[in-house]
Amino acid sequence: MNAVEIKGLSKNFGPKQAVCGLDMTVPMGAIYGFIGENGSGKSTTEKMICGLIPTSGGSIKLYGKDYTDETVRARLGVLIEAPGCFPGLTVFDNMMLEAANLSIPHAEQEVIKVLKLVRMEGAAGNKYKNCSLGMKQRVGIAMALLGDPTLLVLDEPLNGLDADGMRIMREVFTDIVKDGKRSIIVSSHLLGELQKVATHYGIIRHGKMIVEMTADELDASCRTYVALQSAEMSRTRMLLGCRYSRVEEDEAGYLRVYDLTSPEDIVTYLYENGICVTEIKTDKIGLEEYYIDLMKGGK
Amino acid sequence: MTKDIQFESPSFTRRIKGMLGVDLYRLFHTPLFYIFLAIAAIIPAMVSAMTMMPDQSGNTMEPLYSNVWQIIAASKSLYVIETIADYANMNMVFIFGGIMVSIFIGHDYKSGYVKQLFTTHAKKQDYMISKSLVCALAMACMCITYLIGGTVAGLLVGYETDVSVGSLLVAIFGKIILSLGWASLYTFLNVIFRRYFGISVVSSFFFGTGILIIGAAAIVETLGLPVGFLNVFLYGASVNANLSSGIGSLLICLGVSVAWAVIYNVAGTRLLNKCDVY
Repeated sequence: MNAVEIKGLSKNFGPKQAVCGLDMTVPMGAIYGFIGENGSGKSTTEKMICGLIPTSGGSIKLYGKDYTDETVRARLGVLIEAPGCFPGLTVFDNMMLEAANLSIPHAEQEVIKVLKLVRMEGAAGNKYKNCSLGMKQRVGIAMALLGDPTLLVLDEPLNGLDADGMRIMREVFTDIVKDGKRSIIVSSHLLGELQKVATHYGIIRHGKMIVEMTADELDASCRTYVALQSAEMSRTRMLLGCRYSRVEEDEAGYLRVYDLTSPEDIVTYLYENGICVTEIKTDKIGLEEYYIDLMKGGK
Repeated sequence: MTKDIQFESPSFTRRIKGMLGVDLYRLFHTPLFYIFLAIAAIIPAMVSAMTMMPDQSGNTMEPLYSNVWQIIAASKSLYVIETIADYANMNMVFIFGGIMVSIFIGHDYKSGYVKQLFTTHAKKQDYMISKSLVCALAMACMCITYLIGGTVAGLLVGYETDVSVGSLLVAIFGKIILSLGWASLYTFLNVIFRRYFGISVVSSFFFGTGILIIGAAAIVETLGLPVGFLNVFLYGASVNANLSSGIGSLLICLGVSVAWAVIYNVAGTRLLNKCDVY
């Protein structure tokens, strides 16, 4: 049984089709990185999973049950756009209210537990309106964690977090899914961070799922390249361009030669042409570059 | 987080208890509520005092009321008002109450609270019930502060105090009971205009003034229906709870309030089930 199974999902807003025939599968125990451009239909899909907007067609199953089933909905945790907090109340009070909404027994212990989990126990007494963006984001995640959810749907949860906050979130996510039964759907534009934690990916474009893959499959799909620097970069580029199919300069000023695992050929070739290589390394493209390539239509 | 996953259906009692607890906590911890309580107390005092003040030539204005309890309820049922005194009574609470409800519920949508709530609470009826009950309580509290403010102001100004105690109690309790119907109406209006906070406030104010009763009165007159037919409306029933009312008026208030509360709750639930939550 999968945590989420979506078939032929569609959503129309008047004449505009936001999601069209989307299929999506989130296995149990997965951290599912849900990726797409702005306006690609990510948030709409997430809102449909959460039952916030009715579907125009297709089916959504959560743990084998229809998404409208109240028993399964009671075990969802969500952070979409902003946590619904009351600014004049403290973080702790806001959490207690959410716990009351969820009818959680022993609410106080549960609230303290999740606040500790997101390292916010020290700020529990702060008024929500006085919290920084990153702290608010952590509160939102803590709220989503209340009630021991089986499925977390988090829309841009990493926004506004500092490096330590992101590390903590990665640990929290990994901890949640470690029993193999709970799952997380995370949408984020911070693909580098997402890659550190996601076990599965779904890439959506114009309301359609264009790729679904595991982290291992992504790793296998990511192209290898040799990156180098030399004393004469422009001449080096010209020479490499004559011999190899794809040569590009990256943001750090390295020349990249794709689909070539052995750097010896290049070093020899450049040496024979009177160019001295000053630095050389082999690497693989990351999720971010894979995604950009995919969006450009290449792979 | 290692125990087996169990999916349980939370009972209606558990759900509504939790939601009511949250809304009550919010109500009593928001300055908005206390501001409106104060407004409800000050308004009758201001109206009484201003109508007794001399003008620039030193002439004293005609007093708006002759009796303290006219500040609380009109002397008789007048669906279309003749003087401002027929209008300026405890029914005004339902105008301010509408604005308060709009601000209170509007925050749910502005803050994203409903997204969190409706994800885990599949039953939209719980939301409608909880908001209606809590806002009804808020308006009932406003009726009480209005009663206190109006009574103190009337006594200070020196109005007469003669009244049929039974009718006065019917008028007071009738209006308090009607808070439920009014609160349900405003909750429903806020669900309709959930994306447009300003329109929510204006529509609540508009309905609260009872201006629509004029149209209803014209229809009733044209169709030759008895005037008492207007009592099926919230404003009609509010007007009917006056200083010459009997126990029947109280029962009308109860029936009308509960009936409209059910209608608005059902309509609001259906709307929430069909519409997107932003």
